[in-house]
Amino acid sequence: MEQVKEKILEVLSAVLPITLVVILLQFTIIWLPMEVFIQFLIGAVMVTTGLILFLIGVEVGLLPVGEMIGSTLPKTKKLWMLVLFGFIFGFVVTVAEPDVRVLALQVDQVSNGAVPKNILIYSVALGVGLFVALAMLRIIFNISITLLLFISYALVFLLALFTPGEFAPISFDSGGVTTGPITVPFIVALGVGVASVMRGKSSSGDGFGLVALASIGPILAVMLMGVLYG
Amino acid sequence: MNIRVWEGFGEVLWEVAMALFPMLLFFLFFHFFFLKLPGKKLKDIFVGMVLTFLGLALFLQGVHIGFMPAGEAMGEILVAKSARWIAIPIGFVLGFLAIFAEPAVRVLNHEVEKVSGGYIPAKVLLYTLSVGVAISVALAMVRILWDISLWYLIVPGYAIAFIIAFRSKKDFVSIAFDAGGAATGPMTVTFILSIAIGFASGMEGRDPLMDGFGMIALVALTPILTVLTLGLLYGRKEKAKDEQTAQSA
Repeated sequence: MEQVKEKILEVLSAVLPITLVVILLQFTIIWLPMEVFIQFLIGAVMVTTGLILFLIGVEVGLLPVGEMIGSTLPKTKKLWMLVLFGFIFGFVVTVAEPDVRVLALQVDQVSNGAVPKNILIYSVALGVGLFVALAMLRIIFNISITLLLFISYALVFLLALFTPGEFAPISFDSGGVTTGPITVPFIVALGVGVASVMRGKSSSGDGFGLVALASIGPILAVMLMGVLYG
Repeated sequence: MNIRVWEGFGEVLWEVAMALFPMLLFFLFFHFFFLKLPGKKLKDIFVGMVLTFLGLALFLQGVHIGFMPAGEAMGEILVAKSARWIAIPIGFVLGFLAIFAEPAVRVLNHEVEKVSGGYIPAKVLLYTLSVGVAISVALAMVRILWDISLWYLIVPGYAIAFIIAFRSKKDFVSIAFDAGGAATGPMTVTFILSIAIGFASGMEGRDPLMDGFGMIALVALTPILTVLTLGLLYGRKEKAKDEQTAQSA
């Protein structure tokens, strides 16, 4: 029950302040058509209720399994399995990420279907999967996070030279939205599990940096998609 | 009045089913081959899946019929005003609110305090972060108003981040880059981004695909720069203090 209350407060404090400002703006400078405004208010109620249910569902049913997978996987002691399942894990979780879906929907609409929703979602998911797999290798071989981030971003800016201009903002935005309410707890659970089994309890800090790496994958993936499309 | 709340909900339900199906499959695979969970745990997973399904469907529907059209309409109304610059302060306020109350930021505060050994006070981080994101959203509006390429902001931003990163502690770099995600809360992509898209598509000579998007990128860059810079500043203070105590001893 305590958890439920916490989630409700969490979501309300995210949605309410902005909703109030919009109501204030509505009657001072914006004056949206009444239908649009009322749909906004109904939408706010739906988003709030939806997010609360979603977060409770993730916490009650999904996250415990994610944690168990995170601590079971490394016990197999097989490198290829860690990398392969790390990839699938990242992919599967991203496909369910709400923020990624919303961004994909926006891109689909703004581009008039030139960049279809599902293609964007699966590209982003592939990117996250690949970089979660890479993060597994990093934890096992103890590669410096700063160096790895630097190389990855260098690659991003290099690839940007070949990507059609209109894909650049979308690709960076994709990197930002992957780190949403479902991806973050899941891959942190995986990272902490793997780090503590592989390298002892002291290095549990290695679980950090996973989210950072996971958000680079989509930038590269969407840019590559742009190269293929353009 | 023509209010359409459940328009297209069937499609949304189908989409959400497709979104959660791969995860369910993955879990079942692990259950049968590795975990072999007891019945009660399976029931929890099932209940969790149902809640997640309903929640995601409601959320997406709300965004679809409420936030996206309202955000875009707001952007278009702002463009039609003689004082278009008003979008900049509005962006600032919305950006500030989007992060100030964001729960993920509290988690971040806690982590940073731990890694910095308490040298970076949580309050300082919260305010710098909120102002930082506010500036990012305002900058996204400035970008649309004056047609500034995203590269002019992103390239120097990441260049500075890496210059500081190579001089920072490893744990600090991880947390700073992880924090990029903490700033992009549920309101940013669903609503604030829609305002930017409406604003860009209403303006002549702008391509909403190129100018409207990019806001999330700026918002995600802010915490990286904020946390690293604070780490650098407070790290120096910490060093100076250590030297002082060493001298006096």
